Amino acid sequence: MNHIIELQRVWKRYDTGGEVVEALKDVDFHADPGEFVTVMGPSGSGKSTMLNVLGLLDTPTEGTVYLDGQDVTDLSDREMTVHRKRFIGFIFQSFHLIPTLSALENVEMPTLFGDDPTARDRATRLLERVGLGERLDHRPDQLSGGQKQRVAIARALINEPRILLADEPTGNLDRATGRSVLDLFDEIRREDDVAVIAVTHDPQIGDYADRTVELIDGRIQ
Amino acid sequence: MSVLDDLFRRVPALLMARRNLSRNRIRSGLAVLGIIIGVLAIASLGMFGTTLRTGATQQLGDIGNEISVSPNFQEGIEELTERDVDEIRRAVTDGAVVPVRSESKLVSRGDRQTVTTVYGMEDPGALYEAEEGRIPDRLRQGALVGSGTAGLLDVEPGNTISVDGRTYRVSAVLAEQQGISLVSPNNAVIVPVEDVNGTGYSQVVVSADSGQAANESAVAIREALNEREERVSVFELQSITAGINEFFGILNAFLIGIGSISLVVAGVSILNVMLMSTIERRQEIGVLRAVGVQRGDVIRMILAEAGLLGVAGGVIGAILAVGAGVALNAFVLNDPLATFQAANLLYIVLAVGFGVGTSVLSGLYPAWKAANERPVEALRK
Ligand SMILES: Nc1ncnc2c1ncn2[C@@H]1O[C@H](COP(=O)(O)OP(=O)(O)O)[C@@H](O)[C@H]1O
Ligand SMILES: [Mg+2]
Repeated sequence: MNHIIELQRVWKRYDTGGEVVEALKDVDFHADPGEFVTVMGPSGSGKSTMLNVLGLLDTPTEGTVYLDGQDVTDLSDREMTVHRKRFIGFIFQSFHLIPTLSALENVEMPTLFGDDPTARDRATRLLERVGLGERLDHRPDQLSGGQKQRVAIARALINEPRILLADEPTGNLDRATGRSVLDLFDEIRREDDVAVIAVTHDPQIGDYADRTVELIDGRIQ
Repeated sequence: MSVLDDLFRRVPALLMARRNLSRNRIRSGLAVLGIIIGVLAIASLGMFGTTLRTGATQQLGDIGNEISVSPNFQEGIEELTERDVDEIRRAVTDGAVVPVRSESKLVSRGDRQTVTTVYGMEDPGALYEAEEGRIPDRLRQGALVGSGTAGLLDVEPGNTISVDGRTYRVSAVLAEQQGISLVSPNNAVIVPVEDVNGTGYSQVVVSADSGQAANESAVAIREALNEREERVSVFELQSITAGINEFFGILNAFLIGIGSISLVVAGVSILNVMLMSTIERRQEIGVLRAVGVQRGDVIRMILAEAGLLGVAGGVIGAILAVGAGVALNAFVLNDPLATFQAANLLYIVLAVGFGVGTSVLSGLYPAWKAANERPVEALRK
């Protein structure tokens, strides 16, 4: 069994003042290195919740999370943060770049708090790789949406993660730009053997995926 | 790479903090202004206290070095004898002993005349300095005239004056004494000790080289003369200076206390600014946490922001305070350099320390709040 990440019988319940919302119901899921998995489903079906649990941002109410074969369900905040940094790259729908930092500094940002002498070189090469070698010193407000998402992808890759989690990565991009971002994902998972898990409404992602998982009302179909 | 860049690379919290502060310059500027005012208030009120104290000490002169020995009238002793003076001379190891006789007499020059205190002294040079003329080592003939009396009678060295009918040549006009003195010469005339009636002395002034020597002399004199009966009363002027010092200590603490209030207000404004800016940056901080930045690093980053505000305000406040101190001392003491004394440096360091401390303290709650927010919550729109 060489799943890089796996959920076993995961439940997530939110207690919203009397009413309990079940966002994930008995979810089994896994992804392998180099695999491109898309998660589809209507709004409110639990896609983001599942991605947060996969990304060690949130803990399940019930069930087990395995990361690289290790049970990571009940880690402390500190250990979860260490694992996020080592294993996981995040890409968000609204990019979430830091407006005061340049493109290069944004890419370096995950390495900033810690001694990492080669980070600047890696960040420069990553930005060149995503086609922004000429934009290193630009601030986010000087970049287009597609360029911002490329910076975000470079940031997600700076620590050479094993898993790339993307929550509606093309949601704020036009079709053509979205396609170029997806091409980049495809290249990354092939060349770097990274598992890419992307939540989407975008039907064109289907063309890239090895596998599509459908979530409806918290359950995998 | 400049030193600053190097520092920022080494301490990423500082880099992030500086960038965050430059995001809303007006808001950061106002927060810094609060600290500037607080630091300026503490430092300049402290320095103001020092200036008052210095001024008062100048007024007092060296009186802390003097002691006065006088006969104990309660025991029926009217005057000090030659033997007493000898014993005092033996007791005092370090300082001049000047026995004094005094009387009120009519002093005149030409048609001007006045009634004034006449001191009989053998060695007035131990206590006074001449403004004009020369004070002889031993006063055997001639008179010394205090500056006030000299002005009144229009006297210069070389003139003659008459004291109760007896004629003296004036050897010197004495320099005006600024401070309080046991035997103030300003409105007096000093003549040889034999010329004043009586056999004993009304008081003996001991002028030591330091406050400590004066104190030791006082102890020795009490031991030597008051062994069998309380012959003399010894008055140490140190007791006055000690009281005055204590008063200024309290005054300074009070002034600094008032200054501290403005710093507390500045602290509240920093708390407000940091709270607002961390709430605005909720999502960003969520992203930081998501990509692997630890809670402690978030706390460090926000404390660095608060600290930078404090350091900026502290440095500017300190510079302004030095400026204010120079102006104050130039005006009050005629000596702008009096600003640069140890006590004032202490107040400046204290004020800057309080300023930075207040800022960092005010950053603690916003930092703690930001670091403890769960990244999932922060990232939800
Ligand atoms: N922190 C929360 N508190 C309460 N309910 C939540 C919370 N997060 C998500 N939910 C609920 O869980 C369900 C799934 O949400 P989400 O995973 O965001 O769906 P999706 O991303 O598929 O649109 C929704 O009904 C949502 O309202
Ligand atoms: Mg969602």
